[in-house]
Amino acid sequence: MKEVVVHPERCVGCMQCMLACATAHSKTKSLLSAVLENPKPHSRVHVGAGIYGEGFPNRCRHCDPAPCLQGCLPGAIYRYERTQSVLIDPDRCINCLSCAMACPFGVIRYHQDALALPGKTIALKCDNCLERQTKGKIPACVESCMTGALTFEECNESLRKKTKEVARRMSVGAEERISSGIARGFSLLTGLKQAQTAVNEHLPRREARDE
Amino acid sequence: MRHVVIGNGISGTSAIEAIRYIDPEARITLIAGEPFLPYSRPMISMVLEGAVRADRLPLRPEKFYESLQIETAIGEWVRKVDTENHLVETDKGNRFPYDRLLIASGADPRPLKVPGTDLPNVFFMRTQAHVQAMLEAISEGARDALVLGGGLVGLKATYGLLRRGLNVKLLIRSGYPLSMQVDEFAGKILLQELVDRGLEVQVGVEPAAFEGNGKLQEAVLTDGTRIQCDMAVIGKGVDPAVSFLPLDKIKIDNGILVDEHLETSLPGVFAAGDVAEHFDIARKARRVNAIWPVAVEQGRLAGMNMAGRKVSYPGSLSRNVIRIFGTDVLTAGMVDPPGNGEFESMRSYNEHAKTYRKLVFRDDKLVGLVMVNGVEQGGVLMSLIHNEIPVRTGTPRERLAAPSFNYSQLLFK
Repeated sequence: MKEVVVHPERCVGCMQCMLACATAHSKTKSLLSAVLENPKPHSRVHVGAGIYGEGFPNRCRHCDPAPCLQGCLPGAIYRYERTQSVLIDPDRCINCLSCAMACPFGVIRYHQDALALPGKTIALKCDNCLERQTKGKIPACVESCMTGALTFEECNESLRKKTKEVARRMSVGAEERISSGIARGFSLLTGLKQAQTAVNEHLPRREARDE
Repeated sequence: MRHVVIGNGISGTSAIEAIRYIDPEARITLIAGEPFLPYSRPMISMVLEGAVRADRLPLRPEKFYESLQIETAIGEWVRKVDTENHLVETDKGNRFPYDRLLIASGADPRPLKVPGTDLPNVFFMRTQAHVQAMLEAISEGARDALVLGGGLVGLKATYGLLRRGLNVKLLIRSGYPLSMQVDEFAGKILLQELVDRGLEVQVGVEPAAFEGNGKLQEAVLTDGTRIQCDMAVIGKGVDPAVSFLPLDKIKIDNGILVDEHLETSLPGVFAAGDVAEHFDIARKARRVNAIWPVAVEQGRLAGMNMAGRKVSYPGSLSRNVIRIFGTDVLTAGMVDPPGNGEFESMRSYNEHAKTYRKLVFRDDKLVGLVMVNGVEQGGVLMSLIHNEIPVRTGTPRERLAAPSFNYSQLLFK
């Protein structure tokens, strides 16, 4: 089963996924009209700033067992077996914040929503774009991600790719690393470091400078 | 293997599901006094408030017991547990033999030892039936309510009755509500919110007697004042329901003592939920954490252990979250640590956004948390406490208290 995989090192914090997510969960499914909707659609993925200001697309991990599901007072949170998604029934949700207290990733928000009765605030979180998937589309956040920070693939396949990436980084020359196109940021840093070392090596030695 | 589970609260329910999940063959008998399907006890205050109907309380489908092949004795209260002959006896005289027994009998409201609590319209708020009785009293014309105790039950009763349009007076022995859960600062924000919505509060007093001719008319306080009221709700905490147990044979402190497998001092007898006393992670001490999520996790693990899969329980964490009108309060662990130099507290308050955060550290670990409003990241902080994750210099403490704190700040060191 394919799932959304997050590659935090590739996120540049552009927040396109948030826009796409909110649009995908709007009534009209079009950005232009979605912004005019009432209630305004909200994103289920949240790009937060890390300690160096780097982006990170934080979304529901659909944990198993899920702490939010276990902590849900009205029994509104359930697991949809077919996609292994943890979902929230908007009619049963009582907006009690118990899931906010339970979620170790902090991915649940509380808003009015097109899915809920008018005026009712409910808990909102990623539903793996169930509606899109039934139409044969991939999740909106993945579709909109331009840097490959979000991918939709088999978990094992993703792991295999990651292993290969690491292996290749360790086993080829620096030139190839820079031009190979894999994890550019990382390779660039490695390249920079190597250049710096090279420059340092050409500096006069300490004793010589002291003279 | 014959399993007997006492209590169909969320702990007992989680346990029978876990047993059945692991052992499809086991014989499971459930004995439960309340004549309902497993229901959401925390939601009864929302029925009082009128936010949900009583038919939304059940948490499992109608054919739940049949589908899991559970034998039931619903509406029967356990009177005696014969631990020598492995028998459970109910008030209807039925006897149930067991190989493994789970005591998930929960807790009962602590009675108030003053005269007059037997008058009609003096209520506890613990069960669905209690709330039904309160709603009947309101429909029969009760207008002036007196709520005793500023704990969660007292506060939820107050909130519910205010939303029903009653005149509510709240008596709190300590200076502010939720004194067991939050610090004074957060407690007072909450109190102000209630007072702004028309609540009358008296602190530092307790009732001495309830008076009335055939029904409640007045409450007399310890300082001699008299309060006119036609209904009262007692929210003075709960006591573990252990009256049916041989107290000389099973070890009990504030609750039934259980080991890391949720097993009591009697082999083959387990306890979980509000009745069980295990270990509190933040306080590093034995403690009954009588809250919903702990009842779920303990019930589930007790069930797994009963079915033969050894799983150990690391301990529980006290925590709570409450939404009163426009104010959200989330709290976890030790929020009011003793000032013995062992703990360090950090507070931040934003008057404009009305957000408050207090973090309590022991050495490099977070052990306590209070949040007022902006509580979405509360679970992340709570999991730091729960998993005892050291907060090192890579994530400065100030960041944890900042409104911009989010999960990604824990990723890179």
